[in-house]
Amino acid sequence: MNIIQLNNLVKKYPVGNGEFTALNDINLNFKEGEFTGLVGPSGSGKTTLLNIIGSLDSPSYGSAIVMNKSIAELSHKEAAMLRNQHIGFIFQTYNLLPVYTVFENVEFPLLLQNKNATQRKNAVMEALEWVGLTDKIKSKPSMLSGGECQRVAIARAMVKKPQIVLADEPTANLDSKNSHHILQTMQKLNKELGVTFLFSTHDEKVMQYLNRLISLEDGKVISDTIKNA
Amino acid sequence: MIQFLFKGILRDKSRSLLPVIIISIGVFLTIFMSGWMKGIFTDMIDLNAKFTTGHVKVMTQAYAENEKQLPNDLALMDANKWLSILQKENPEMEWVQRIHFGGLLDVPDSNGETRAQGPAIGKAIDLLSPNSHEANRMNITKSLVKGSLPSKNGQALISNEFAERFGVNVGDDITLFGSTMHGSMTFQTFKVSGTLNFGMSALDRGAIIIDISDAQQALDMLDVTSEILGYFNGDYNDNQAELIKTNFNNKYTKADDEYSPQMYKLTDQGGLKEMLMQAENMTSIMVFIFIVAMSIVLWNTGLLGGLRRYSEYGVRLALGEEKSHIYKTIIYEAIIIGSIGSIVGTIFGLSACFYLQENGIDFSDLMKNVDMMMPPVYRAIVTPDLFYIGFIPGLFAMTLGNALAGYSIYKRKTATLFKELEV
Repeated sequence: MNIIQLNNLVKKYPVGNGEFTALNDINLNFKEGEFTGLVGPSGSGKTTLLNIIGSLDSPSYGSAIVMNKSIAELSHKEAAMLRNQHIGFIFQTYNLLPVYTVFENVEFPLLLQNKNATQRKNAVMEALEWVGLTDKIKSKPSMLSGGECQRVAIARAMVKKPQIVLADEPTANLDSKNSHHILQTMQKLNKELGVTFLFSTHDEKVMQYLNRLISLEDGKVISDTIKNA
Repeated sequence: MIQFLFKGILRDKSRSLLPVIIISIGVFLTIFMSGWMKGIFTDMIDLNAKFTTGHVKVMTQAYAENEKQLPNDLALMDANKWLSILQKENPEMEWVQRIHFGGLLDVPDSNGETRAQGPAIGKAIDLLSPNSHEANRMNITKSLVKGSLPSKNGQALISNEFAERFGVNVGDDITLFGSTMHGSMTFQTFKVSGTLNFGMSALDRGAIIIDISDAQQALDMLDVTSEILGYFNGDYNDNQAELIKTNFNNKYTKADDEYSPQMYKLTDQGGLKEMLMQAENMTSIMVFIFIVAMSIVLWNTGLLGGLRRYSEYGVRLALGEEKSHIYKTIIYEAIIIGSIGSIVGTIFGLSACFYLQENGIDFSDLMKNVDMMMPPVYRAIVTPDLFYIGFIPGLFAMTLGNALAGYSIYKRKTATLFKELEV
């Protein structure tokens, strides 16, 4: 079953008097439980594509259907709801809230869902267990290593048990050992929970974990390779 | 969520400390200045009420027109009749007669020849009646430097400064040279029973205080008084004073008789109404300036804080928080920070006002040559409105400042914002 469908997707941005085409006629489908990477050089449109799938942006033309919802037709509230309920984000620079503890950072998406304290505590502890950080719940991000920060970010993305996780260059700031650790964690979650992971990356280490590799260049798909599991 | 925000505010000092300090200072200054100005004006009015205007005052229309010249030839006849009428119609007030006069005080030597002379302001009040509150009202008891209050007719109090300048001691005789209400000269000798320090330059330079009956005799004013003053038992009540004044004037003031009595309330006299209005206007202007200034500073603080937290807002958008919800949390934070700052500022402001209410600041050295009747010690006054006069503007300024700062987040498209938020 396709969880994401992109049909003739075009995204243009106004630049000066003209327009810059960030995505040009993208046609892609993603099935539930995929572990897919978007690869390509800077400016190839990877992040723009993730933003559209994540309902942070909308297509100029064509359609993006995520969880059976057309992104272009969503109101601000519906888009926020989609992100809140079904999509998790992981960023290159972790983007943890610096004044809050590990527990509170992971708890935040659940506060937005108005979950009660017990539900929040159980879910947060479960998510931190997935990433192996239950001993750091009271630590602030400044007290953690880069790898630990990214694991907290993964827990934050996973705590609401989303159907889709969008990870924008998640290993770009990590050393080799931490990169592998992070990728193994995400791979485990993908297999155990059936969550669809979609990466943007140009990290060779990431590519070896992916089941599907989509290459973008100048906003176009130039290859779409499915590897055997 | 509020708990979550509260934790953030407490932990992120750069988010909360500067705004709290700014609001606290603004609220403190608003309350302090307001309380102090009110205190000064209240003391001034109170002083004038006690010495000059009463809470209401009855004079003849002719006397009122020339009041500054102390025209006793235009004074109120049948004083006891009017006193009875006033006491009967307004028993809740205390009514007293006063006579103001001017003259020369002559200090004789042992042979009865003039040793020294000086001009003096004279006030005649009820000093000898057992139930009279006049001595306390005019703070005479506390102002005594030497001697005691007059205990019988023929005794007088004079200002201590005058007494020292001319070497007058308690028990000495002094002679008042003045004029009767009919214009003829009068000479009356009094025995000095005590000397006073009023703390007001106008009176300390030269004043004589005698009993009303002595003045009536000396100035040929039997059953005549310059004015009858009325005092409420408690604080001045302008509405009640207006009612009493209107009733009295409707009943007894005759347009075609300039010697008929007319009642004036405190705020009708000596430009006090204008002064009170000016005090209120000044307080309003001051509060307005503080709100504008604080809002601008807090707006900029909010903008800087917002810029610093762009990444946080971007993450929150990505986590599924709506722009409007982020905007709401900015306002909630402003309310929390504004409340903390306002409470701190209010506590400090009220404490400072209370301290100045009890102690005041003595400006008597600076007011030696001031002829206006002004209190020598400037005190603040703690009134109920001080509890909110700074609190509400402080909260409002913080909320307004952050609302303006956060508006750009609310108005931008999510995608644009997300890009700008550099996530």
